[in-house]
Amino acid sequence: MTRQLRVALAGNANVGKSVIFNQLTGLNQIVGNWPGKTVERAEGTLHFKGYTIRVIDLPGIYSLSAFSIEEIVSREYIAVEKPDVIINVVDASALERNLYLTLQLLELEAPIVMALNQVDFAAKKGIRINVDKLSEMLGIPVVPTVAITGSGINELLTTVVALASGEIKFNPLKIRFGAEIEERVQKIQKFVKKKLPRMCAAYPARWIAIKLLERDEDIANKLKGHENWAEVLKYAEKQAAELEKMHGEPSPVILASERYSIASKIAKEVTILETPPRISLEQKLDAITTHNVLGYPILIGVILAMFSLIFVGGSFLSSFLESILSDILLYIEVSLAFLPQEIVKLVADGVFGGIIAGITIALPYILPFYIILALIEDSGYLPRAAFLMDNLMHKMGLHGKAFIPLVLGYGCSVPACIGCRIMETERERLIAAFVVTLIPCAARTVIILGLVGKYVGLHAALALYIFDLALVFFLGRIAFKVLPGEPVGLIMEMPPYKRPSLKVVLTKTWNRIKDFVYIAFPIIIAGSLIITALNITGFIDYATKAAKPIISGWLGLPEEAGVPLIFGVLRKELALILLSEILPLETLSAVQMIVFAIVAMLYIPCVATVAALLRELGLKKAIAITFVDVAVALLVGGLAYRILLLVIA
Amino acid sequence: MFRRKPHGHSVGNNEELCALADLAEGEKGVVVKAIGGFGLVRRLAEMGLTPGTEVKLVKKGSFGGPVEVEVRGVALALGRGVASKVLVKPVKDEPHD
Repeated sequence: MTRQLRVALAGNANVGKSVIFNQLTGLNQIVGNWPGKTVERAEGTLHFKGYTIRVIDLPGIYSLSAFSIEEIVSREYIAVEKPDVIINVVDASALERNLYLTLQLLELEAPIVMALNQVDFAAKKGIRINVDKLSEMLGIPVVPTVAITGSGINELLTTVVALASGEIKFNPLKIRFGAEIEERVQKIQKFVKKKLPRMCAAYPARWIAIKLLERDEDIANKLKGHENWAEVLKYAEKQAAELEKMHGEPSPVILASERYSIASKIAKEVTILETPPRISLEQKLDAITTHNVLGYPILIGVILAMFSLIFVGGSFLSSFLESILSDILLYIEVSLAFLPQEIVKLVADGVFGGIIAGITIALPYILPFYIILALIEDSGYLPRAAFLMDNLMHKMGLHGKAFIPLVLGYGCSVPACIGCRIMETERERLIAAFVVTLIPCAARTVIILGLVGKYVGLHAALALYIFDLALVFFLGRIAFKVLPGEPVGLIMEMPPYKRPSLKVVLTKTWNRIKDFVYIAFPIIIAGSLIITALNITGFIDYATKAAKPIISGWLGLPEEAGVPLIFGVLRKELALILLSEILPLETLSAVQMIVFAIVAMLYIPCVATVAALLRELGLKKAIAITFVDVAVALLVGGLAYRILLLVIA
Repeated sequence: MFRRKPHGHSVGNNEELCALADLAEGEKGVVVKAIGGFGLVRRLAEMGLTPGTEVKLVKKGSFGGPVEVEVRGVALALGRGVASKVLVKPVKDEPHD
């Protein structure tokens, strides 16, 4: 019988954690989200020495406070699910900062094996670590690794299995804080043990005490509902206030300082500095790409390269797939001809139309996007781009990182929405995703250029883009003001540049594509099926009549324009194609063209985007964004109609 | 360093303090205190900017963009607003490392 082991990977961002994860599990991964959270959850299995080992890759974090969703997800998993072993992946070249998290893992009383990673890179910087001494001081096994080459991975697994089976025994460091802190931790611990026995069954009592002393809002919320919670909270509050009075600092700062002084002491004792570091190629690259002047043309170059890769590659793939699939669709229609026409339509246009839309619109753009995302994530360029754009993004209440999804939005909203996960908090993700849906994607560009650009003039099309950008800033600011929560300023590590590993990039891409297909395709097909069914049953004609006051009355469009707008939900450029089939485009007035383009640009994101929103933000937020988009489209469209009439006439 | 900092103000012992954002590129300072919301102050401490830590300003972004600092052997980007909330005591004599 094989024995089961559950192992979790924990570590800072940019320490090579995902590389280790990929070395361990390869293609046997399931990538998804943590339940109810927009945090990527990657899980994989491997077999080793008669063990089936399930590996969970926890998100990259710097601390176990309640700062970000990632941190809460990670500590809940460690504390509640109690994996058999935690592999703490540590960057050997930045030991002190990495140990800060290690110390908190020790506070959680988790069984830890440390993977001291990037020892080669550290050596290049002139840093050598005394592994035995580090292991002795922390009381945990330490295995040096170079994840990118796979060196040390086997030994790491051997150590994990040995620790889990009890073959090797360790006595993890029990962290003792300075006297006045320690005294209070122990007091609260005693109190918690007495008053909250049920809480202590789930979490270590000392850990609860430390978190309470740190005024951790998440733990305080967890307490609620337990008996005596108010009393415990009040007691901890008193202790924290006393401590703060003595030090003149907020208690979390006091504890962070404590931990850092321990981390710093350990790091100093085990680090041997050798040759003074020379200026490396990576450092030169860093200096150029964040240069106050040169940085910007480089950024523009990178974006253009990204665009061409995603959209040139994507449209090539898209038309290639479309030519194959349209033949298949024709074949299906012919071979089903013996069935009633309605059913043929339902199957061909509804089901297969949906599949084709998914394959020809979403996939061709998502595939190159995922590859580029993985490359940017792994190389370390993303933080540099964010550094350059931080100031501008703050104008709409976001910080530098939001720049990436925003730019992607001009190509396709789907990868752009997925890209919003690089933001730290739910709030930032929601604002970014909302803003992204309002950016005209390639399909909407077809409408703007094909209608307004062609018949009214390029200056009008350009004006629409500028107007859209202004609207995006305006609405972004409103969302920023309206949504609750503390805005996050930029605090971001600038990791050294690294050469991305092809294997990691490809496995990441493959696993993410798999996940996207599972989630998005059913939604796209269902949406397509519903619209086709509505069309067959004549409901669309009815809807057109019902929508007449809005379409003609409020927006001033011919009433036939309603149907194309409804079908535009499937794919936005369809709105223009259908409109041109229903009535000659030249018969529209300039104002009508502009209004139609505005509405198409802003209203409900296409089905594939809704699927991506659903996937990233959940049902409620996806509906909210869709609803707001439609409302904004109608409002702005109607106002534009009236204002333009005045201006042009 | 003899430059007087624009936002410098004196504390009890007459030592000049200034915002981290107001250090010159290449200048070092020792963190004294971060002022701001609970979440921000905690986050800064967690990222290693605890009181008493030496920090070097590596680079200032253009157009009032973020600053890059080096603390505990790690490079961090801090938004200009964030870096303005960290009070430091400039290190007078630049050690030669």
